[in-house]
Amino acid sequence: MAKDNEHQGRVAVITGGRGGIGTGIERRLQSEGVTVHVLDLSDDLPADPGAAGAIHFHSVDIGNEAQVDSAFDSIQSVSKRLDYLVCCAAVFRPQPFLELEPENWQQTLQTNLTGSFLSCRAALRCMRPRKFGRIVLFSSMIARTGSVKGAHYAASKGGILGLARTVAIEAAADNIRVNTISPGITDTPQPRAFLSDADLTQRRSRIPLGRIGAVEDMVEACMFLLSEQSSYLIGQDLRVNGGASLW
Amino acid sequence: MVSQTDSRVTIITGAGSGIGKASALRLAHAGCIICACDINEAGLRETAKTIQSSGRTCFTGQIDVRDRESVESWCSEVADRFGKIDCLFSNAGLNARSAFDEMTLTQWNLVIDTHVTGAFNFCQPVLRHMVERRSGAIVITSSDFAVVGVPNAANYCAAKTALYSLTKSLALEFAPYGIRVNAIGPGPIDTPLLRSGRTQEQYESARRNFESRLPIKRLGQPDEVAAVVEFLLSSGAAYITGQLVQPNGGQVIW
Repeated sequence: MAKDNEHQGRVAVITGGRGGIGTGIERRLQSEGVTVHVLDLSDDLPADPGAAGAIHFHSVDIGNEAQVDSAFDSIQSVSKRLDYLVCCAAVFRPQPFLELEPENWQQTLQTNLTGSFLSCRAALRCMRPRKFGRIVLFSSMIARTGSVKGAHYAASKGGILGLARTVAIEAAADNIRVNTISPGITDTPQPRAFLSDADLTQRRSRIPLGRIGAVEDMVEACMFLLSEQSSYLIGQDLRVNGGASLW
Repeated sequence: MVSQTDSRVTIITGAGSGIGKASALRLAHAGCIICACDINEAGLRETAKTIQSSGRTCFTGQIDVRDRESVESWCSEVADRFGKIDCLFSNAGLNARSAFDEMTLTQWNLVIDTHVTGAFNFCQPVLRHMVERRSGAIVITSSDFAVVGVPNAANYCAAKTALYSLTKSLALEFAPYGIRVNAIGPGPIDTPLLRSGRTQEQYESARRNFESRLPIKRLGQPDEVAAVVEFLLSSGAAYITGQLVQPNGGQVIW
């Protein structure tokens, strides 16, 4: 059975750690005694990073190869280890398909999918020599269901499932476990930027468990996948959606 | 992980060996009151002895899950004795391997009745009770074979796929009552079931085959499945229902 404090003293990287779900995970890991490195755009970083205790902020465009590699290099040289990678970085600017601008398409794929590739590759380079690693990538229910005005987002999140499954089977023999979480709609600033209260109420009525997901639901799922409790899970997608989609 | 030290009354079927036994031990350790049943009395006694020797509660019943009357009466006994049923882990199962063209109706019925009708027999009285209390969580043991097939086990694959479908249907029907229903899809786990019907030599050969073929390069242990059951029954999984979670070492990825 798992130790009570298996996370204590470990080192984690969270991409998009300033978003709703990322922030929740960052706080939980910190409270478990993990040194947390947050990779996010400088606009999203706190004005006074020094005030954040054991959380280290790195201003990184997650879709930029040189910036991602350089951030992981600097983390590796300071911490000498990397145990966890949690990829939350994502953008979503809904547009009807016929009006979808190539720039929006490109930026969404670059951040959500290529950003996950770059982060996983850099993390694996740190994890492999120590034969230990836990990686959680955030996909989305939309990867399976699709979404009106969300072709670019669905494509990027579907790509994450394919990426994660492949990295999972490539890395498993080195004791590096890769799994994904596909949240349903979650109560964070991101959906609230596009959905009115009336929209949210209507969405809620279609969810079997009768509520929108909470950040805490995703944090719990993430902690399960990072912990020894999921020691035999490889390449699996944990669908945390209140029953809104059953596959 | 959220640690729940409350005394959740938890029914576990097939608790005399393998995944059921490991789950009974793990959930007892987490503070649950275990109500364990199995058709195999010796295994059941062993599970109960281990739990009780650590000062925890384990109530037992020697039950054939196919026998509706005894299932109903035992569930009533549990509810009367402990005042509630919080969780059900419907896990009882067996195997009767055969090439399809030689499979007897007896082999077919044994596997379908034990897995599928056995789960129905337990879920119905337990859910009636949970609906009244508007709370509860159920985990059903399906399999990787709910997603992919395997030769010489048409009965087993049909049963495990039926259980996955049953899970999804129950999840939707009982979500309005705050009751969650999920399935687990274990891969190759080192249990008595994996050894059943195989000589020691055949088992060793199967194990080596799994070790070379599986991404994780080893068989799973029963406690690794029990850990997933514990999570799905806990409040940490409060927003997860109708899902199949597969502790399978990467055997099936979809």
